[in-house]
Amino acid sequence: MNRLLVCLLVTAGIFSAHSYALDLNKVLEDAARQEIEKQTGEDKTQPSAAPAEAAAAPASTSEVKPVPEEAKPEFNWKKPSRDEEIALGREITGSILGAAPLVKDIALQKYVNQVGRWVASQSERPDLPWKFGVIESADLNAFAAPGGYVLITKGLYQKLQNEAQLAGVLGHEIAHVVKKHQLKVLQKQQLLNAGASWVTDQFGKKDKLAKAAISNGAEISARGLDKEAEFEADRMGVVLASRAGYDAFGLPEVLQTIGQTNKSDNSVALLYKTHPAPDERLTKLGDSAGSKLDNIKAGKTLENRFYKLSN
Amino acid sequence: MKKILLLLLFTPLLAYAGESGTALKADSIRAEPFADAKTTGTLNKGDSVNILSKKGAWLQIKSKKSSGWVRLLSVKRGGTSSSNNISGAIDVASGRAGTGKVVSSTGVRGLSAEELKSAKFNEEEMKKMESYAQSADNGKSFASAGGLSKSDLAYFKGANQ
Repeated sequence: MNRLLVCLLVTAGIFSAHSYALDLNKVLEDAARQEIEKQTGEDKTQPSAAPAEAAAAPASTSEVKPVPEEAKPEFNWKKPSRDEEIALGREITGSILGAAPLVKDIALQKYVNQVGRWVASQSERPDLPWKFGVIESADLNAFAAPGGYVLITKGLYQKLQNEAQLAGVLGHEIAHVVKKHQLKVLQKQQLLNAGASWVTDQFGKKDKLAKAAISNGAEISARGLDKEAEFEADRMGVVLASRAGYDAFGLPEVLQTIGQTNKSDNSVALLYKTHPAPDERLTKLGDSAGSKLDNIKAGKTLENRFYKLSN
Repeated sequence: MKKILLLLLFTPLLAYAGESGTALKADSIRAEPFADAKTTGTLNKGDSVNILSKKGAWLQIKSKKSSGWVRLLSVKRGGTSSSNNISGAIDVASGRAGTGKVVSSTGVRGLSAEELKSAKFNEEEMKKMESYAQSADNGKSFASAGGLSKSDLAYFKGANQ
């Protein structure tokens, strides 16, 4: 109940700041209804009895009662469902694709999906609908979005020498998805702006909701995560590639390569803005690994199978 | 000469061979690529080394004082200059990176934070991306075709946790 009050206070602040005409009672009622539903475990999938207009009518009394659900799906920021997570990831990824489209090479895209799918199958979330893509950008970077979306830039792909290195990079991104790193950032942000979620409830469709919930999809990718999340993804990326049968050191090799690119080069500007420096990542990885990788099974690098881009 | 031929044959395994490197941290130099092998020397942070070969988690190196095997993650490829801002600036001025490779400055704009922030959702590209997705079974056959086999390895914790 405390939380509800806090939410309402925040809501009020946001609304007044934006000069919205605010029916605080309506917000209160909606919020309360949600609380009740949570407590009674009412099935939201029941066919709706009341049309949306009825719900939009001003509340006649201050009494809180469980009115019939009007089939108005709620984006559950506190505990997003798998579908909501995927809808969010689709929104973010689609926006990145708006800035940089896929490389027009179907064989390349399929190849990257095959490698990525196999590595993802070694993770704790093998059943997500994993999707991978190479985007048209000279930058050295890769992106992950909730629900199993992973993108790598053509610039970074061209720096790779073998399949194990690709597996390592994808493993790092897969780790972000498995650990819900981006999702957690979005949730934190959204719960801080709790009021916004009630506003977006006016939308019916899940992707529309996701669209409204994150004012700009790709913004999260431009902002980056905290350092610890990156270090964790490095550690997991190494392990995931190794579990998949690849040489475990593909990712560190790529970090080495990135470290050799001049810092002031445009192609690494965003990467350096959003990630710790490669040297720091390598050092952390080495410190964390300690002796744990000493006797690791030699994996494959598969340079012969690596799909080479002509330009 | 024989040795060189052998090296050439094994080039794919020895991608590091012949490169210079820098110690990212202090580590023991060992006689063999095993943790319990005899220690033959010490590597200090910042030491320059020559990388001779790679085996599993280990790099065979030669430093000024000693030679032997160190953990791969203890050594960074390339000299110290690439992490030095001043020489970095000189490298830019001369059109060269610390590695001696010419920096590509094709004029292609990078993916900037601003571009990402103002990007608009592209449904057509998204649909394409979805169409390229592979099933778990496809991934498995692809792995088998490459001779990849699963192995067990637990995640490890962060150094300061």
